[in-house]
Amino acid sequence: MTGAWIRFAAAAACMILGLVFMISAVFGVNRFRHALNRMHAAALGDTLGILFVILSLIIMRGFSMDSLKLSMVIVFFWIASPVSGHMISRLEAMTDERLGEISILEKNNGIRVTMEDAPSKIKETPDKKKKRGGKGR
Amino acid sequence: MELIQQAYDVLMTTGVLILAALIILSIIRSILGPGISDRIIAVNMIGTMVIMITAIFSVWMDENYLADVCLIYAMISFLGVVVLCKVYTGVYLQRKHMKADLGAIEDNLSKQGVEMSEEKEVQP
Repeated sequence: MTGAWIRFAAAAACMILGLVFMISAVFGVNRFRHALNRMHAAALGDTLGILFVILSLIIMRGFSMDSLKLSMVIVFFWIASPVSGHMISRLEAMTDERLGEISILEKNNGIRVTMEDAPSKIKETPDKKKKRGGKGR
Repeated sequence: MELIQQAYDVLMTTGVLILAALIILSIIRSILGPGISDRIIAVNMIGTMVIMITAIFSVWMDENYLADVCLIYAMISFLGVVVLCKVYTGVYLQRKHMKADLGAIEDNLSKQGVEMSEEKEVQP
């Protein structure tokens, strides 16, 4: 009886861990701004999320033909997910024409600058101008 | 024995419900996403979560064939993502070449003389 409860506890822990990974992956996909950042968040759910959820199912089922098939799903996903991620990132790098621009200032002023223009544009931002004016007075 | 069965039922019900809510959230992202790659990422995540739900059902309802459905679904989802990426890369390149061709035609017209450009101004 205690063995069954220990098995249930292990399965529940793995399932909850996998669900936490999936929740953080969906949160990241909805929260990040650019497609490459979103891909970084989505890869978490593709690897660790499905690993822990299916591991909990394997613990529930014990070793049998079914759990072998479920572990084949994990193996296939760990091979296929990096390939599809590579394809998506290549599509994004080819399609996005503003990819090389850094966007540090996007949070404050909505300005996206290139790497060469960055120092001059940072000097021109309104906040710093106000500070300079205050010093001048 | 009854109690542990109830505990397993509660665990799997909770997992399926949370995954269903997450699928709805990523459907929202796939509608809102500004670029095409955002939509492909969201659709890929929806496929992952559908595979997890199918795997949970295969253990919960004790049906063996649902594990096979999981494997086939994973393969078809991967194939769909690869084909979508290839198709949209081709579409983007085709549009780019078409824009370049239009620019070349306009350059030719402007080089040929004033009359052509006057006609062009009349047309629109």
